[in-house]
Amino acid sequence: MNAVMTIASLTVREAVRRRLVAAFALISVALVSLSGWGFYKLSHGTGFTSGETNLALPQAVVLFMFMFSFLVALSASAIASLAVSAEIDSGVLQTVVARPVRRSDVLLGKWLGLVALLAAYTAIVCALQTAVVYWASGFVAPDPAAAAAFVFAEGVVLLTFVLLLSTRLSALAAGVIGVSLFGIAWLAGVAGSLGTAFHIRGMHTASEISQYLLPTDGLWRGAMYYLEPPSFVTQQLAQAPAAGGDPFLTLAAPAWQYLTWAGIWLLLVLVLGLVSFARREL
Amino acid sequence: MAVPGLGTGGPGVCSQAPGSPAIHTMELSKRYRHTLALAGLSMTVARGEVFGFLGPNGAGKTTAVKLLLGLARPTGGEAMVLGAPAGDRETRRQIGYLPELFRFQSWLTAREVLVLHCRLTRLPRQRWASAADHALELVGLSARGGDKVGTFSKGMQQRLGLGVALLGEPALVMLDEPTSALDPVGRHQVRVIIRELRDRGTTVFLNTHLLEEAEHVCDRVTIISKGRSVATGTLSELKVRRPSVRLRVTGLPGGWWRSLAAFGRCTADGDWLLVDQMADGRVPELVTAVVALGGQVEAVIPEQQSLEESFLTLLEDT
Repeated sequence: MNAVMTIASLTVREAVRRRLVAAFALISVALVSLSGWGFYKLSHGTGFTSGETNLALPQAVVLFMFMFSFLVALSASAIASLAVSAEIDSGVLQTVVARPVRRSDVLLGKWLGLVALLAAYTAIVCALQTAVVYWASGFVAPDPAAAAAFVFAEGVVLLTFVLLLSTRLSALAAGVIGVSLFGIAWLAGVAGSLGTAFHIRGMHTASEISQYLLPTDGLWRGAMYYLEPPSFVTQQLAQAPAAGGDPFLTLAAPAWQYLTWAGIWLLLVLVLGLVSFARREL
Repeated sequence: MAVPGLGTGGPGVCSQAPGSPAIHTMELSKRYRHTLALAGLSMTVARGEVFGFLGPNGAGKTTAVKLLLGLARPTGGEAMVLGAPAGDRETRRQIGYLPELFRFQSWLTAREVLVLHCRLTRLPRQRWASAADHALELVGLSARGGDKVGTFSKGMQQRLGLGVALLGEPALVMLDEPTSALDPVGRHQVRVIIRELRDRGTTVFLNTHLLEEAEHVCDRVTIISKGRSVATGTLSELKVRRPSVRLRVTGLPGGWWRSLAAFGRCTADGDWLLVDQMADGRVPELVTAVVALGGQVEAVIPEQQSLEESFLTLLEDT
C-alpha cells in the first residue's frame, strides 16, 4: 500500500509541477465566470416571460454540464493516455518497476492519483457553478451533488478505460480511441432517445447495448436527471410528446441494476489494466 | 564526480541464499516474435566480482539485463539472481540498476528523484536525506541536488542514474552502458566507483560494448554474440589465446624467414619482427635461432592479443 500511495502522490505532484492543476483552475474560473454572466443575462433579461425563463434555466444548466462533462472526459483521456505508455517510451517507468514494487501497485497508484485530481476538479467546478447560477438566477438544480457525482463517475469510467489502453497502446492511440468511443457512446445514447420517441426498437436496443459496453452515456443521463426539475420534464413532455427523443431530457434516474453494472464494469476494466501492465514487457 | 568513499557498511541486506552465485543463467532464451534476441545464455557471476558483459550492438546484452531484472519474461531457460528466481520482488531490494535509457522525472529535482527511489526501495525514512546526499556527492552532483532533472545534460542525468543505482548499498549493481554519455573524466570516475564497489564486496554486472572500460575494471568477462555466450574468462585468459612475440632485430641475412617459419607466422616491419601464433614456451628457442642466423636481438616483447583483437576474432568465429 505504501508504494501505491507513493505513486499516487507522485502523480498528483506531477500534475501540480507540470501546471496541469493551474491550467484546470484557469479554465474552471473562465468557464464559471462566463456561465455566470450568461445566467445573469438569461434571468434578468427583458425579452422573456418568467415561464420561458423557468424553462430555459434548467436547459442551460444541462448544456453547461454537458460541455463540462465533455471537458472532464477529454481531460481524463489525455492524462490517462500519457500515464503509462509515455513513461514506458521515455524509459522513466523502467527504473521505477525495477524497484521492489508490484507493477499493480504502480498502476493502482497512478489510477488513484488521477482519480483524486478528477474528483477535486469536478467537485470544485460543480460547486462553483451551482453557487454562481444561484447567485445569478436563483435557480438550483434538484440535486447538484448527485449530478456532480455522476459526471465524476463518467470521467472515472473513461479514465480507467484509457489507462487500460495505455498499458498496451501508444499515448496517442489510447487517447484517440478513448475520446472516439466516448463520442460514439454519446451518439448511441442520442439514437436511443430518438428510437424511444419514434418507437424504433432497433435504435433503442443498440443504445442500450452501447450503454452497457461503455457506461459513460448511461452515467451522463444520471447527471442530467438530477439537474432537471420534475416540473420541467413534465412541462416539456406536455408541450411535445416527442420531447422524449430530446438527448438533453431524461425521464428516469439510472436503475440500481445499471449502476451496479457500471461499478462491476469499472472494477473489471481496472483489474484488466492491472493484469495487462503486470504482463507487459518493458 | 568527487568519488568519496562508498561507506563501510558492506553490502546491503543479502539474506537470500548467501552462498549462491550473484547471477546464474541456464540456457536463458528470449524470442520476440520472429527475432531471437537471446539464444540459450549460460553464465555464472560470482558474488563480489566485477563482471563484464561484452558484445556488439544487438547481441542481446540489454535483453539479458531486462530478463535478470524481471522487466521481460524469458521464453526458455532459467535465471537466478542472488539466489532467487530472476525478477523476484524482494530480491530487487538488493539490486541497483542503471538502465541504458536513463530517464527520470524531469519535473523533480535530483534530490527528489533519489528520495523517491529511497521510498520505493523501502529504506527507513530517517536514512532518505543522508542516502540522497551521499549519492549526490558520490556522483558529483551535490551542487545541483536542488535543480530540476529537466535542466540536466545527458551526462548529468547518467550520473544521477548511477547515484540512483547505488542507493541503499545494494549487493548487486547492474550497469547498462554506464558511461555512454560521459566525458573522459566522468568515465574515469565511474571506473573508480566500480573499483570501490568491488572493494566493499558488491557484485557489479557491467554491460558494455566499450572494451577499454571492461579492461580497466572487470575481473571476468563474457563475450556474447547473436544472443549466446561465445567466451568467458578473466581478461588474461581471453587475451593469451594466440600469443605472439615482437623482436627488435638487426643484421638478419636474406632468406631468414625460411629458417624462422617453423616458429609461427613471421612479419617484418623495419627493425621489428613479429612472430604470430607461437606455441607456448618457444620464445628462448626463437631468440637462439635468430642469433644463430647472425641477427642481433635488441628487444624481445612478448605480445598478447588485445581484448579488442580477441573480441573481433571470437565474433568472426561465430
